[in-house]
Amino acid sequence: MHELGLMAEIVDKIEAVAKENNVTEIETLVLDVGEYSGVVPEYVEECYPAVIEGTLLEKTALKINVIPGKARCENCGTGFAVKGNENCCPRCGSQKCKVIEGGEFVIKEIVAR
Amino acid sequence: MDAFRVIEIKQSVYADNNAEADRLRGEMKNSKTFLLNLMSSPGSGKTTFLKRTIGELKNDLKIAVLEADIDSDVDARAVAEAGAEAVQLHTGGMCHLTAGMTRQGTETLDSENIDLVVIENIGNLICPAEFDTGAAANVMILSVPEGDDKPLKYPNMFSVCDVLLINKIDVQPYFDFNVDLCTERVRKLNPDIRIFTLSGKTGEGFSPWIQWLKNAVREWQVSDRIQENALMKTRH
Ligand SMILES: Nc1nc2c(ncn2[C@@H]2O[C@H](COP(=O)(O)OP(=O)(O)O)[C@@H](O)[C@H]2O)c(=O)[nH]1
Ligand SMILES: [Mg+2]
Ligand SMILES: [Zn+2]
Repeated sequence: MHELGLMAEIVDKIEAVAKENNVTEIETLVLDVGEYSGVVPEYVEECYPAVIEGTLLEKTALKINVIPGKARCENCGTGFAVKGNENCCPRCGSQKCKVIEGGEFVIKEIVAR
Repeated sequence: MDAFRVIEIKQSVYADNNAEADRLRGEMKNSKTFLLNLMSSPGSGKTTFLKRTIGELKNDLKIAVLEADIDSDVDARAVAEAGAEAVQLHTGGMCHLTAGMTRQGTETLDSENIDLVVIENIGNLICPAEFDTGAAANVMILSVPEGDDKPLKYPNMFSVCDVLLINKIDVQPYFDFNVDLCTERVRKLNPDIRIFTLSGKTGEGFSPWIQWLKNAVREWQVSDRIQENALMKTRH
């Protein structure tokens, strides 16, 4: 439940980016949230109005792209969706698999002028 | 007025903390201090376990504890009595410890003369898994009363730890905790994890754990390379 603290950090970061780019108005903030990032999109949305209050992002819409979990088998190289496969390769059955997508929590971009 | 344009940022929210953690780990390596991050749910027996671990090692190693338990100095006093230097971190209701907060604790210590620093992280199986504290190793406690299904509910935590301690094994006869089933579930998430079953209260099962810790500290002190731990491997 660390979404609140992270969102406050994100707002600070965006304000710095805005300054660097001479931005005065931010229409949209876009975040990539991995399915296995430990971040819950609903909590992010819930605390968003509180963290943007009184900042440059006060009127900024929030868009969250949820990134599904993807893994790769370290034995045979097969890529597969994490969901439904329980970290077990659907091709060779190996459990030596590495999550390659879906763990990220990334500030993707802002739409601004 | 200008038209709206897309400004690409593509920055991981965890990037700053990861960089700070790597910096701290490097400094700990230079001062030959093994930083161990201990994580669990509240009440899993961290303090009891720590007191016994300190008691077994205090003649061989100089130990300190960074206590992050929510704003109370009760635990810090308990570990100090067991023979370790204790620092109470005031985390102000946070749900996890960052590398920056860990540094505030290590900076108050005379790291050059300390072999082992244990962070008693905030009792929580979710948030601490996402934040590298700069520790050399990440260790978690799961206690028997919590149930053997916890790896299914908190997969991230079990994936980022180098060691799992199944604690309170003394009360296993009174619970339906299945150690083999739990082990199987954990290994599915993290094939390389080391698992010890023990009791902080009775001391049962402690010697393999103490042996592992002594070896890990020695290895950290003699090798000049920082080996990637399980948490570093899953970082994003
Ligand atoms: N039966 C049993 N109880 C334990 C053990 N370790 C701790 N406890 C009890 O569990 C409770 C919480 O322990 P504590 O060490 O304070 O847990 P912490 O909150 O994780 O630091 C206390 O009542 C302890 O006496 C153990 O190995 N076996
Ligand atoms: Mg405690
Ligand atoms: Zn395979």
